[in-house]
Amino acid sequence: MKKKLSFVIMLVFVAATVLSGCGSSKKTITFWTPLTGDDGAYMDQLVKDYNATNPDIKVKHIVTSDMYTKLSTVLNSGKGIPDLAIIHADRVPGYVKQGLLEPMTNVMNAQPELKQDNYLPQAWSVGNIDNMQYTIPLDIHSVVMYYNKDLLKKYNVENFLDDNVVTFDEMLSLKGKLAQGDYVVNDALLTWIVFSQVQNFGGDIEDNGKPAVDTPVMKQVFESLKQINDAGLMTPTGEDGYLMFQSGNVLFSTDGTWSSTAHAKVEGLNFGVTNVYSPTPDKFTNRASSHLFTMFNKEDRTDEKEQGIAAFLEFIRKNSIKWAEAGQIVASKDVNSSPDYQKYMQSFFTKDDTEIQSLHIYTYEYYPYISEALDTYAGDIVRGKISIDEGLKTIQKTVEDKIAQSEQGEEAGK
Amino acid sequence: MTKKFKLAPVFFVGPHLILFIVFILLPTIYGIYASFTKWNLIGDPVWVGLDNYKTILFDSGSTFHKQFTNGLENTFIFVLLSVPLLIVIPLMIAVALEHKGVKGKSFIQSVIYIPGLISISAAALIWALIFNKQLGVTGNVFHSETVWAANQPYAWIIIIVLTIWGGVGGNMIIYRASLSGVAKDLYESAEMDGAGAVRRFFSITLPSIRFPLIYTFVMTTAGAFNVFGQPLMMTKGGPQESTTVLMMSIRKLAFGTGESIAGMASAMAVLLGLVILVISALQYYVMNRNAN
Amino acid sequence: MSTQVSIDKDLTKVRPVAQKKDQPRAGRISKAVAYVFLAALCVIWAIPIIFGISTSFRSQTEVVSSGFRLLPENWTFESYKAILENTSTAPIMQWLWNSVFIATLHTLLVVVVISITGYGYSRMTFKGRDTLFFTLLGISFFPGVVNLIPSYKIIDALGWVNTSLAMIIPGLAGMGNIFLVRQFMNSIPKDLDESARVDGASDFRIYLSVILPLVKPVLIVCALFSFTGSWNDFLWPVIVYTDVTKMPVTAGLLLLQDIYGNYRMIGQLMGSAILAIIPTLLLFLFAQKYFVQSINLNSGIKG
Repeated sequence: MKKKLSFVIMLVFVAATVLSGCGSSKKTITFWTPLTGDDGAYMDQLVKDYNATNPDIKVKHIVTSDMYTKLSTVLNSGKGIPDLAIIHADRVPGYVKQGLLEPMTNVMNAQPELKQDNYLPQAWSVGNIDNMQYTIPLDIHSVVMYYNKDLLKKYNVENFLDDNVVTFDEMLSLKGKLAQGDYVVNDALLTWIVFSQVQNFGGDIEDNGKPAVDTPVMKQVFESLKQINDAGLMTPTGEDGYLMFQSGNVLFSTDGTWSSTAHAKVEGLNFGVTNVYSPTPDKFTNRASSHLFTMFNKEDRTDEKEQGIAAFLEFIRKNSIKWAEAGQIVASKDVNSSPDYQKYMQSFFTKDDTEIQSLHIYTYEYYPYISEALDTYAGDIVRGKISIDEGLKTIQKTVEDKIAQSEQGEEAGK
Repeated sequence: MTKKFKLAPVFFVGPHLILFIVFILLPTIYGIYASFTKWNLIGDPVWVGLDNYKTILFDSGSTFHKQFTNGLENTFIFVLLSVPLLIVIPLMIAVALEHKGVKGKSFIQSVIYIPGLISISAAALIWALIFNKQLGVTGNVFHSETVWAANQPYAWIIIIVLTIWGGVGGNMIIYRASLSGVAKDLYESAEMDGAGAVRRFFSITLPSIRFPLIYTFVMTTAGAFNVFGQPLMMTKGGPQESTTVLMMSIRKLAFGTGESIAGMASAMAVLLGLVILVISALQYYVMNRNAN
Repeated sequence: MSTQVSIDKDLTKVRPVAQKKDQPRAGRISKAVAYVFLAALCVIWAIPIIFGISTSFRSQTEVVSSGFRLLPENWTFESYKAILENTSTAPIMQWLWNSVFIATLHTLLVVVVISITGYGYSRMTFKGRDTLFFTLLGISFFPGVVNLIPSYKIIDALGWVNTSLAMIIPGLAGMGNIFLVRQFMNSIPKDLDESARVDGASDFRIYLSVILPLVKPVLIVCALFSFTGSWNDFLWPVIVYTDVTKMPVTAGLLLLQDIYGNYRMIGQLMGSAILAIIPTLLLFLFAQKYFVQSINLNSGIKG
């Protein structure tokens, strides 16, 4: 037994010496992304292709399943911060406010083609705060609306798609006409639908920097959504509307651009993609987000590395057609206007200016708080489990309380 | 000789004590310190004294007060529903498995233990499919028209079902190991004396495993207070936040998509810790007294 | 031990001779009850397991097609192929080996630490022993929500970032297993070590040759818990490692799951969950005959 014990202790020491002492190389760009699953594999391929061009500094891609938590730990300790990272659009205002991001100025100087004109406008501008560019976009990903071609035919409503916009009224016209178990629309990504409708109804979620949820426009949005629910056209509450669309029981599914690859794997599901439904054919909005390259403040990021990052981003700008396979709307105009790109379903959203403008990315600083509160309450409001007035009041209060918390912390910190 | 005797406890509990101080005590102290601050996880915490506690406990209009009271209430419901089952079912299984004549013990034991190995997300998905109206058992076999996850009390039922399914294996093997230490001749002589199964259980089995029993009670309860995975996966806290447990709210505040409100989250966590502490101390006190 | 004595006394009081005849019948009934109970439970427990496994062999088309079937209509290995194909980002064999290494070393150390420490808190007498024990246990009950941040700083200060030590060592500080071992050791009659002490045995001697063999079943249970816990940990490895090839398999498999929530491809999620439990399951199958080993510690005192 004593022998066993000392053996174990020895083993630990051996392990300790073997395992420690692996420093990070100065010759690579560490590049963190939250891109798990197939997305990570596509990005990996892009990085591999780039490294195959024998650049001065190679890129090391690290996929992280809980990147934002991990970022908190390294940013807090100040050590192990990556050279380059991909973050989501809604994180940008918060990080910039906390002074955590380094402007892309040097990178853009190194590669003149990394400029606004070469990217989808809103993907570029989300990274622009007080005339400083903090991010370079990779893509836009959006909530869109898939339709089941066979069901449209079955109910003889293919004309819904004529003007590229399915309206509330068109959907409501199917009331009482569906077979048992069939539904017009599901409730997938309901929060994003609410955000889309806010624009469609001519409102916004902020008013001079203050959150604006408890508003007449928001009330209209929920009344309209509730109308669809009350007419029995929306998939039942608590059921998986996404799977029901794949089962072929739902005409329209409001989920992400990225879902096209999954839908395509379901045999016999004959589907297409269009814009999220709207009150009028004149105005339609698809609430979007964006994957953005950014650099967190880091003292030992050398100029050479910034050059290397610039070269990598320029490579991505020219060659990210691979990213289209992930189902995303590639932000680089070089790519999204290329003939190859047109075979992807999501090219629908870059086919003309109106479509491009329909992709709306919110840049309000406290958007994440509103989004979280909507995630909690939107379903209950649309399903009539809480009244619209009460729900909106609760959301408004929740958001205001959280903002008060984060602001107080800051003021005291100054 | 006497000197050596005094040093001995240091050798036995000392190494772990050091580990405890470094890896549990220091982080816990930091967490308690954070509860007196405003903090976004990234910058430095800013001292605000008792503000967070005041808000959570006394500011009845505040979102955080509502989150805390609602979360704590739901957590208590979960504890009350799950803990008795997580104690009694494994105990019954272990006792039944002790029965001399029962064949295939290893097989039965394995089947019951396996769910505990499956990741919570996969386990939740399995049950979500089983409770799915179109694809699952409840709709197709039992013709239930209810959407379970969206209606009470069904929402609690599926959470508890998932918890029990995944949770009894651990306590079961603790009881199995405990019962293996109970002398067989005790049972034999009791049987010869004509004591029935129920009587044998209460006068031999339970007293013999009282120490492990205290352990499972205390730890299962403490674990249940920390629940968040099952409701998060099965009901997302709904309907109408009726299954939003406290740990879910705490984690959302600290690790949500917006700027972190970690000070408030820490204060809630400390309060939850105090609740767990009081309850487990009570449990231990009562059970230990009864056992002796 | 006092309980055992009282049990015997208790039973001598109630000895209705007439019941003796009914004995075999009562035994049969209780056996039947036990069987029915276990069989029912087994079925209830097994259905979701079988359903989970079978789902990993279904195509997405079949998963979403209406109606409940326990087994797939068409078996497909698509999901497993998809999981194992993605090897550019996912060196699964390397991950498996990392996990085996980490979990094994962690478990061995846990067994050493908890048995020694448990002995200290149960069999030794020193001032403030129980106060110390319950204080530590109480502290460990505080939910560690933001502890991630200070824990990372500590690991960083020790130079353990991106090393397996960060996975192996911190978990040794836990109180749960020590509590369990202490409870088991408390069940062992004190006369055992006292008689050994009279014979001149040191604490270490008593720990090794008297107590350790008696608590073997619970140590095996703790080893199972530690191994499984270490194997299934997925958040801490993400924080600790910056190198994908060093990841343990559970955290690694999360990288294969989709960013937008877990069920774009249901079969794949099930498949990876099943692959991940195979090693812990094998360990359980191997260990289960040991933790129910009859030790019969009461016979020692009774004789």
